[in-house]
Amino acid sequence: MSRRKRDAQEILPTPLRVVAIAALAILVLIPIAYTLLLSVTPDIEVGGGNLIPSHWAFGNYLQMWSTVSLARGLSNSLIIAGIASVIAVILAVGAAYIITRFKFRGRLPYLYSLIGLQTVPSVMLLLPLFVLFASIQAALHFRLVGTYEAVIVTYLTFALPFATWLMVSYLGSIPMDLEEAALCDGATRLQALWRVIVPLVLPGMVVALVFSFLTGWSDVLFASVLTSPETRTLAVQLQAFSSAQEGGALPLYGQLMGAAVVSALPVVILYMIFQKYLIGGLTAGGVKG
Amino acid sequence: MSIQPIPETVPAPTLVLRPERGRRGIFGGRPIWLIWPSITLLVVIIGIPLLIAIYISFLNLDQYTLRSWIQAPWVGLGNYVTALTAGNVIGASALTSLGVSLAFSLLTTLIITPIGILAALTVNTRYRGRTLVRTLYLVPYVIPTFVTALVWRQMFLNGTGLVDRFLAAIHVANINTYWLLGPNSFWAMVIADVWASWAFIYIMVLAGLQSITHEVYEAADVDGASSWQKLTRIVLPQLRHILALALLLSTLYHFNNFTLPFVMFGTPPPLQADVLPLNIYVSSFQLFNFGLGGAMSVITLIIMLIPGFVYIRALRLGEVTAS
Repeated sequence: MSRRKRDAQEILPTPLRVVAIAALAILVLIPIAYTLLLSVTPDIEVGGGNLIPSHWAFGNYLQMWSTVSLARGLSNSLIIAGIASVIAVILAVGAAYIITRFKFRGRLPYLYSLIGLQTVPSVMLLLPLFVLFASIQAALHFRLVGTYEAVIVTYLTFALPFATWLMVSYLGSIPMDLEEAALCDGATRLQALWRVIVPLVLPGMVVALVFSFLTGWSDVLFASVLTSPETRTLAVQLQAFSSAQEGGALPLYGQLMGAAVVSALPVVILYMIFQKYLIGGLTAGGVKG
Repeated sequence: MSIQPIPETVPAPTLVLRPERGRRGIFGGRPIWLIWPSITLLVVIIGIPLLIAIYISFLNLDQYTLRSWIQAPWVGLGNYVTALTAGNVIGASALTSLGVSLAFSLLTTLIITPIGILAALTVNTRYRGRTLVRTLYLVPYVIPTFVTALVWRQMFLNGTGLVDRFLAAIHVANINTYWLLGPNSFWAMVIADVWASWAFIYIMVLAGLQSITHEVYEAADVDGASSWQKLTRIVLPQLRHILALALLLSTLYHFNNFTLPFVMFGTPPPLQADVLPLNIYVSSFQLFNFGLGGAMSVITLIIMLIPGFVYIRALRLGEVTAS
């Protein structure tokens, strides 16, 4: 066996590796390529005999904005997922600071519940929250179902435990000495948290923020029940648009796929920008322990 | 599958660095109040609703009694009996749905595991273009689930979708094969989910691979181990803990997956794809039988407690923090 530049870590022989990468790349790319192709196919030709359209219908990307209220969906998703994740991260930093710096009764049950809560099926929380919202609005005569607030509250049910858990592991890795120096200089605990800790855990906060945001962005469950036509998120708009194509004379599949591309693109771009942070942040230190 | 965060892989580090006991440390008061907003919110939006869900499961609650749900008629275990035997009028029974969910989550996990391991092995060593390959692998994983579902719905469309076209072209199946209706729908759901989620195993295995020290591989080389021996004798045994965690989390996640079947099949879904979360959703929010939905939720929760408990035990929070 030639030992010239062979990496000891190499397990797959190069030819096998190339074949495996090619196979996985094809697996990944076929549905994506098909979606992109359909998104520029005229609606009339989507069901036709040829896969390649007679002409590129880039107009799909323009028409779809008036077919579905995509712009409204985009801004609703941005508002709801954005506010929920900002609230989650702010509360999470406060809680994580206390969890990692002090010992108090109920600390361990709190940590356990953070993990336990992540196994609770979301639909199980939606049911009572919907019943609560409905009875509150019947009793107090103000609208709750269909408002931003109602959806934001439900998004916190997954964003808050997750963000807290993440921040606990980030704050736990910041040595105490740094803030003690500040405390010796006469800073209060809060000043130490704000001036010393927060700048250090900023990458962690970004990870928590991005993940909470993306989970909210892809939610269909809560939003499909709790939004009204004005507050509908992008995901629900598309789901409704898709199921409306079923009985129609001419299904607008080209535009539907165009809209799908537009909803996935910001997420994929966001991920590419933060790729290093996101993957590294979540798994680094993680598995080594 | 959209970005499914893997917070759980971040282990509890030294959770208390230098705990201060007593009411006042050297540095004055403890701003314990910082944790109160979080605790209060968790109790109000998760704790109390959980209890209400359990209460609702014993009520005959529909859209008419919803206004004053506290006074809704008490039916005891009636909803549970209905859930397990009959289900809602248009869907499967909870027992059938449970079977579908279990088969779906276990089968998907079983299929994605070898794919994820293989993918991790292809990017374990440095070579030109590795970053590109790594990025590519993660694309299906970061696409939001509802988009994945829309895409695969299109792929599986009867007669015109890519899958039917392809199968007809290679003379395996009739071009008019139905994937979004009937027995095939289960497989359509599994295939779409495999496509979206294999990168989860890949990320976990890759992280595990990076924690194996270089010396171990070199020692194996010196001993003249073959690739296969390295894989089965060194890599897999070292990965068994993280792999076990990955399998558990993957099963949990797939079991709770609502968006994929909901967007792919619409409602009511085909019986073969009527997973438990979807069944609860249809029972509660489309047939307005909240009691039945509640009973099915409680059944789900009880089942989720088993892997949940194993998971919490595996994390060994207690041991870490006991020091």
